[in-house]
Amino acid sequence: MDYLVGVLLPQLLHGLVFGAALGLLALGLTVIFGLLGVMNFAHGELYMLGAYAGIAVIGVTHSFWVALIAAPILVGVVAAVTEMATLRPIYRREPLYGLILTFGLALVFREGARQIWGGDMRRILPPVTGSTPLLGMTYPNYRLFLLAASSILLLALWLFFTRTRAGIVVRAAVQDAQMLDGLGVNVRRVFTLTFAASGALAALAGLLLAPIFTVYPQMGVEMILLAFIVVILGGMGSMGGSVIAAFVIGIAQSLFSLWMNPQRVAIAIFGIMILVLIVRPRGFLGREGVLE
Amino acid sequence: MRRMTWLVVLRALALAGSWMAAPALSQSKVVKIGDLGSKVGVFEGYGKYQTMGMQMAVEELNAKGGVLGHKVEIVSEDDETKPAPAVRKAEKLILQDDVKLLVGAVSSGATMAVMDVTKKHKTIHWNSVSCAEFMRTTKFHKYYFSNQPDSRMQANGLAKYILDKMGKKVYIFYTDYAMGQSDGRQFKTAFEKLGGEVVGVAGAPLDTKDFSPWFGAINQSTPDVLFLAFAGTDSLRLMTQLHSFGMTKKYRLAGIDCFLLQQDLPAIAEPMEGFVQLNHFSAFNPDPNMQAFNAKFKKKYGIDANIASGAYDAVLFWAAAAEKAKTFDPDKVAEAHEGMCLENTHIGKQCIRKDDHQVVMDMHLYRVEKGRNIPIARIAGSDTIGEPMVGKDPVEGFTWEIKKK
Repeated sequence: MDYLVGVLLPQLLHGLVFGAALGLLALGLTVIFGLLGVMNFAHGELYMLGAYAGIAVIGVTHSFWVALIAAPILVGVVAAVTEMATLRPIYRREPLYGLILTFGLALVFREGARQIWGGDMRRILPPVTGSTPLLGMTYPNYRLFLLAASSILLLALWLFFTRTRAGIVVRAAVQDAQMLDGLGVNVRRVFTLTFAASGALAALAGLLLAPIFTVYPQMGVEMILLAFIVVILGGMGSMGGSVIAAFVIGIAQSLFSLWMNPQRVAIAIFGIMILVLIVRPRGFLGREGVLE
Repeated sequence: MRRMTWLVVLRALALAGSWMAAPALSQSKVVKIGDLGSKVGVFEGYGKYQTMGMQMAVEELNAKGGVLGHKVEIVSEDDETKPAPAVRKAEKLILQDDVKLLVGAVSSGATMAVMDVTKKHKTIHWNSVSCAEFMRTTKFHKYYFSNQPDSRMQANGLAKYILDKMGKKVYIFYTDYAMGQSDGRQFKTAFEKLGGEVVGVAGAPLDTKDFSPWFGAINQSTPDVLFLAFAGTDSLRLMTQLHSFGMTKKYRLAGIDCFLLQQDLPAIAEPMEGFVQLNHFSAFNPDPNMQAFNAKFKKKYGIDANIASGAYDAVLFWAAAAEKAKTFDPDKVAEAHEGMCLENTHIGKQCIRKDDHQVVMDMHLYRVEKGRNIPIARIAGSDTIGEPMVGKDPVEGFTWEIKKK
C-alpha cells in the first residue's frame, strides 16, 4: 500500500500530467501532417515561441492568465503568416520540399529567438503555487492545474473536431483536400487557419509547460522529438491516436524512471516505438497505407 | 623674465622628482592575469563572485605597488560552463593576452580541460571553485593549485556527521558530470566505510529542468537522508521541486560545499530549512577572519562574500610566490608556491601542501536556518584532506553498485 501511494501513484500522476501536455503539442503536429503530408519540423519552435511570447505578455500585463490567451494568438498569427508566405507556394511539390522548408523555418525561429531574447534560461513563475495533500502524498498544485487544463483542452478539441462544422471540415481536409476543394470549400483558408490553430496549440503547450521546464531557445528541440514519436505511435495523421500515444509515452516514461535512470528512459521509449512499428506499422489508430 | 625662467626650471625639476619618487607602478609595466569562468548560465553566480574576489585582491596589490613592480590587470573570459569553450578561452588568455596566472574555471569539467592547456603552456593555474577530486590526483600538474576543498575533503567532513546525527540510510542524487560524479563517488566510499548504507544513487544531467522523474526512485528506496551533489541553478530548481512534492519534509537533506551560495538562500529559505551543508566560508560565521573579509567585501560591493570569492586568495598566493621567486617564470613561481603560508586570506592563515598543491582548509558544517548558513561544527582541514594521491585514483575499484544490507 505504501509503495502504491508513495511511489506508483505519484509516478502515474507525473505521467498523466506530462502526457496531457505532450498531447496538446502532438495534436497540432498530427493535424498538420494530415493536411500537408509532411512533418512540421518548425512545430517545436512554435512551442518555444509560445513560451517567449508568454514572457513578453507577462512583462507588459503582469498576468499569466492574460498571457495564456494572448501568447497563442500571437504565435497563431506568426504561424498563419508563415504558412501563407512560405508553405503555400510549395503545396503542389514533393513532400520533401515541405520537410526541408520547415527544417529551415525551425532554424530561423530558434536563432531569431536567441537574437531577440538571448540564450539564457528564463523562468516563468507558476500562477498557481503550493501543494495539495492527495491520497497520502503531496503533489504541486500547478501540476494538478496543468493536468486539468490540458485535459479540458483535449476534450474541447475532441468536441470541436466531432461536433462542429469547422472541425468536420478540417477532418475532411485531412482525409482528402482535393475532394473538399471540389465541393466548394475554400481549402486555402482551411489550410491557413488550421496551421495557425496548430501553432497556437503548440504555443499554449509551451506556455503551460514553461513554469516547469523553464524557457530557452533550444526548448522546442527537446520536446519535438517526443512529439514525433507520439505522432508515429498514434498513427500518422490520427488525432485520437496521438492523444492516446501521448498518454502512453507520458506514463511509460514516468514508470520506467522507477527502474532505470530517467536519462536513459529515451532508449526504452524508442524501443516501444520500434516494437509498435514492427507489430503494427500504422500505429495505434493510423490509416492503413501511411507507413505500410 | 629671468624670474619666470627660474620658475619654469623649478617646476620641471619638481615634476621630474615626483616622477622618479613614484612607485615603479607608474612606469606602465603591466602583468596580466586571467579570470576564466561562467559569466552566464547555470554557474553564473560562482563566476561573478570569482571575478569580484580577484578584483579585490588586484586593487589591494596595485595600491601597494603591484607585483614585482608591475601593475596587475585582469582579463576576464566566459567559458560558457563547457570544456570546449573553456579550452579555447584559456588558450586565448595564455597565448594572446600572455597572462601569468589563470584562475578558473568554475565547472569541474571545464577546469579539468583547462588543466591540459595550463600544463602544456606552463601557466600558473589556480582553482577556487571546482571540486572534482581528479584535479589533485590523476590530472595534477606542477603549475596547478587549489584553495577549494575537493570532493574527498567534503565527503570526509560530511559522512561522519550525517551518520551520527542525521540517519544511516542515504540516497545519493548527483549532477551527472565530473563534479557530481566525483562528489557521489567520494561520499559513497566514505559513508560506506563508516558503516552507513547507501540505498540508492542517481545522476541527473547538468541543467536539468524537471527533476520529478527521479523522485519515484528516491521514494522507492526509503532513505533517511538525501545527499545532494548539485550546484547553481540546478540546486535552486531541485530544492523548489523537492519542496513542492513534500520531500523536503519527508527526508533530511545534506549537500556539498557549492550546493547553493548564501545569496540564493533567502529566496528559497523554506525549502532549505534544516539543510546541512559543508562550507569553508560563510558570511554568518562569527570567525573573526571571515567577518573581517566579509566586511571588506561588503564595503566594496555592498553584498556578502561567499565561497567563490576565495579567488581573492588565489591572486594573493600567486603574487606572494612571484615576489618570493623574484620572477614571473612559471617554474620558479610554482616552486615558490609549495609549502607557502599566508596569514591574510579570506578565512585566516592557510598553507599550500607541497605534495598536491592543495590548500589545507578548515571547514564548517552549517545548518540553514531562516535562509542563513549557521555553523554547527568545525572540521579541521588536516582531518579531511587525506593523503596525497598524485597520479592515483583515490577510490580505485569504486562501483556505484548498491550493497543491500
